[in-house]
Amino acid sequence: MAIITKSYEPTFWDRLYFPALIKGLMVTLRYFFKRKVTIQYPDEKYVPPDGYRGLHRLNKYPDGRIRCVACEMCSAACPADCIYIVPGPAPWEGGKERYPVKFDIDLLKCIFCGFCEMACPEEAIELTEIYDFSAYSREDLLIDREGLLEVYELTKNQNYYSRTDKSKKPAT
Amino acid sequence: MPLLKIDDKEIQVESGTTILETAIASGIEIPYYCYHPALEVVGSCRMCLVQVEGMSKLQVSCNTFIGEVHPDRKVNGKYDMVVYTQNELVVKERKNILEFLLLNHPLDCPVCDQAGECYLQDYSFKFGNAHSRFEEEKRVRPNEYLGSQIVINHNRCILCSRCVRFTQEISGTSELFVEARGYNSKIAALEDKPLDNLLAGNVADICPVGALLSTDYIHKNRIWNLEQKPSICQDCSVGCNVDVFSQQDQIFRLTARENQDVNGYFMCDIGRYGFHRFEKIERISHPMVRNGKSFNVLDWDEAIKKTADLIEKSKEKTAGIVSPFHTNESNYLLGLLMKETLGYLPPITGEEITFPTKFRISADRSPNLRGVNDICGDLVKDFTSIIKTRDIRGLYILDDGVDRKLDDSWKDILAKMDFVIVQSYAMTELAKSAHIVLPGLAPFEREGTITNDKGRIQWLRPSLATKGDSKPDWEILMLVRNALHKESEYFADLGEVIKKMGDQFPNYSGISLFKIGTQGMALT
Amino acid sequence: MDFLGFIIILVKVLVVFAATMLTVLILIYAERRVSAFMQGRLGPNRVGPKGILQPIADGIKFLMKEEFIPAGVDKPIFILAPAILLIPALMTFAVIPFGSSITILGREIALQVADVNVGILYILALTSIGVYGIVLAGWSSNSKYSLLGGLRSSAQLISYELAMGLAVVSIILLSGSLKLNDIIADQQGYFLSWNVFKQPLAFVIFLVAVYAETNRLPFDLSEAEQELVGGYHTEYSSMKFAMFFMAEYANMITAAALTVTLFFGGWDFPLINETMLGNWGTALSVLAFILKMGFFLFLFIWVRWTFPRFRYDQLMKLGWKVMLPTALFNIFVTAGYLTIKSVV
Ligand code: SF4
Ligand code: SF4
Ligand code: SF4
Ligand code: SF4
Repeated sequence: MAIITKSYEPTFWDRLYFPALIKGLMVTLRYFFKRKVTIQYPDEKYVPPDGYRGLHRLNKYPDGRIRCVACEMCSAACPADCIYIVPGPAPWEGGKERYPVKFDIDLLKCIFCGFCEMACPEEAIELTEIYDFSAYSREDLLIDREGLLEVYELTKNQNYYSRTDKSKKPAT
Repeated sequence: MPLLKIDDKEIQVESGTTILETAIASGIEIPYYCYHPALEVVGSCRMCLVQVEGMSKLQVSCNTFIGEVHPDRKVNGKYDMVVYTQNELVVKERKNILEFLLLNHPLDCPVCDQAGECYLQDYSFKFGNAHSRFEEEKRVRPNEYLGSQIVINHNRCILCSRCVRFTQEISGTSELFVEARGYNSKIAALEDKPLDNLLAGNVADICPVGALLSTDYIHKNRIWNLEQKPSICQDCSVGCNVDVFSQQDQIFRLTARENQDVNGYFMCDIGRYGFHRFEKIERISHPMVRNGKSFNVLDWDEAIKKTADLIEKSKEKTAGIVSPFHTNESNYLLGLLMKETLGYLPPITGEEITFPTKFRISADRSPNLRGVNDICGDLVKDFTSIIKTRDIRGLYILDDGVDRKLDDSWKDILAKMDFVIVQSYAMTELAKSAHIVLPGLAPFEREGTITNDKGRIQWLRPSLATKGDSKPDWEILMLVRNALHKESEYFADLGEVIKKMGDQFPNYSGISLFKIGTQGMALT
Repeated sequence: MDFLGFIIILVKVLVVFAATMLTVLILIYAERRVSAFMQGRLGPNRVGPKGILQPIADGIKFLMKEEFIPAGVDKPIFILAPAILLIPALMTFAVIPFGSSITILGREIALQVADVNVGILYILALTSIGVYGIVLAGWSSNSKYSLLGGLRSSAQLISYELAMGLAVVSIILLSGSLKLNDIIADQQGYFLSWNVFKQPLAFVIFLVAVYAETNRLPFDLSEAEQELVGGYHTEYSSMKFAMFFMAEYANMITAAALTVTLFFGGWDFPLINETMLGNWGTALSVLAFILKMGFFLFLFIWVRWTFPRFRYDQLMKLGWKVMLPTALFNIFVTAGYLTIKSVV
């Protein structure tokens, strides 16, 4: 097997180096004047594209019932094992007879893979565009049922960041 | 013996067995719903259809018997019967049957407690269509209580009639029947006789779908979250084999485990819901010593030493009291430890109940009275009077957590004692009056052998983790014994205790946990 | 020297010192902003308008940091090393004229702290002392990384000092004096008289050597973070670390000033005779000096964020096999030219 070595013999011009150096300097100089890409975070917020997988939410029916039936499909699908559900008989008449008494997600464990929303047969759990939900303690990052329903209220009609209307998109 | 060919397999079978039985025994999968080995065959679900060569229609394999045919009529000159379970016709027919079964089925597996162990789910997945052609309104009926513990979801019922046959054949109470005919038929309980017999819980187990549900388990958990561990029911001396389903050391339900020598396929509701009483107990999790009215927590080394010291001081005047709720090993070791064991704590008794198929609930509601009698020699039932007459100053009681009221004679005895050592997992009256309390294990945590009233020894296996500082009862007793007699042997595990026990009691010799296995063994 | 002269010198010292320190602050800010800009970022823009107070925040942070002296260091030297580095760096500026002279109350005051007649030698001497700071810091830290950084730095400085010195020699040959004022005077006039046009080769050698001398990229092998953690100042914290930082920037300022002085006519504003314009001319000269220096300081930063670091063997090869012979050749040519010129 022949080994082909491609080598480039530098010419005298190359060996001077300075032309190349100046070329390099010109590149950086050009960038010096270019538009900057920084997003100044707390003042300006990045608006994630559709389908971004951020904080979870638990959807509700228009009449306020929780869509989730505590089937634990999501927690079974979850590769990080971070969804904790305690099911119970639903308190309302009609509709599904089962609902989550407790629904906790450990956001520290979650890897935001979105498997839970794919597994959910009721389209009850969804990942939203919210990405900035840091907290000062581990406990604060264990989001409970009420928290998840609140996220639904925050994101159901409009994009959390850009405030654009979501209703034009196909409703879930 | 007839020679049968199922698909590519040739099997020699007894004359008079059915195709389905043969298939199950030889590991060939034929789906079925209404067939249950303990129940009469009705062949109503049509799920087990197979093709038999020479017969024009498909046959229900649960009700097609195999027999010898005349040599001239043998298929290929060799087989008495040739069965196809996988061919195109059968596969297509299964699809159709499943489509029919699912016509009015709500398909609400997400809320159904059967999901995960549901035959309708499994078979639909395996053999069914991915789509339904049914476009009409589905029939919707509300849930009903059949009895105080059993709810029926009519929508999910596939009318296999297993439950009806169970009440007719096994419990003999006949509460359930199929009401109306055709499209309108549904399972119902007699108006004046709800499904409230002591075996009612079994119908939820045998229902192949999520139609019959136990109120005790409904909407509590999902089956795949639960750990299933084989165990023995400890609520009567029959010792039904059960499976314990638990999650994070909390029991969610018990179901019967098949053991033809003990309980068949079923268990009674006393045992089924019996585990709930352990949820409320005041658990002891650390060794404690009396300090005036209250207790101080000790560590194990101190506790063992203190116990041994107390016994040492009045060796001749100390007696042990065993319990019919404990394992043979614990009772045996207490016998080794004490100079004498006087008696056992009073067992609990109830009414003896027998069902038509010989299913039995024993009058003796403690699991191991037979074992106590076998292992502990001459014991007196009413030992209280003996204690009164004899000069006994110390007691080592293997308490069983049953909350017995202490009557006056007990109070007299306890007052007379210099010390009382109680080994228990729960703060019973007895434990409250002790000088030293040693924390043992609760019923579903302990391991050992128990002997049922028919003399069958069974392996009680731990289903839950031990709590706090508590130790296995036999180990505590061994440690006390080691502290008391420096030269006494150290048992590394239960097996060694069983071996030693066998050396002393001939009918327990040659026993090992391995030999007992999941099905137990009869004592000689 | 009279009392007034003493006061004047004192004032000049203070002004130069303050100006240098101020420039250090500006440089720290500029370095961060320029690097950010070149990378498409914004850089610090939060403290003060456009972030100009960032260096002050940095300074406060340095002051607040725990003064930590690791166990096992050679304590006196460890403490002394940053000073050995910083003081010569600041002292060098003393001989650099940053403008022509101003006339106040009939007194002519040269805009230079000390007009030493061996100015060039003074500068070369002081920069060599600075090396001790680095080497001692590396050695006294009792840490492998620091030691390696110190050793690299000393070898590098010796190698490039040679080339730098030889490049300067050709300038000295031209001007015939070691005094910086004479060198500037020699370049007065229209701007083709600047040494950069008379001695382009010497300029290139000098410029490259100066980058090596100041330990700046592409020659910052003594503090190559990727290989040496932090180089010679790995073990330093708080204000002592800040002193290394300041020394580096002070060195840059001096180097830029020297480049301007030696090759770009110092404070000379091209095509204008500053001395004829009186004090206005002086102001103009100071402005010219500042602008030229500013450019070279920018060049320092610009180069840093453009070029990758040399490998050590490449560095040595460049120093000894390219720069030194070239510098010698340049001297030879210059000297030959001057000899022929004087004979003719
Ligand atoms: S996004 Fe993934 S990791 Fe997070 S809860 Fe859902 S399934 Fe679990
Ligand atoms: S969120 Fe969806 S998948 Fe999870 S328990 Fe609720 S219904 Fe089931
Ligand atoms: S009975 Fe089976 S198939 Fe029907 S809803 Fe329940 S789990 Fe699903
Ligand atoms: S309730 Fe269950 S066991 Fe009874 S007929 Fe219906 S499906 Fe069969």
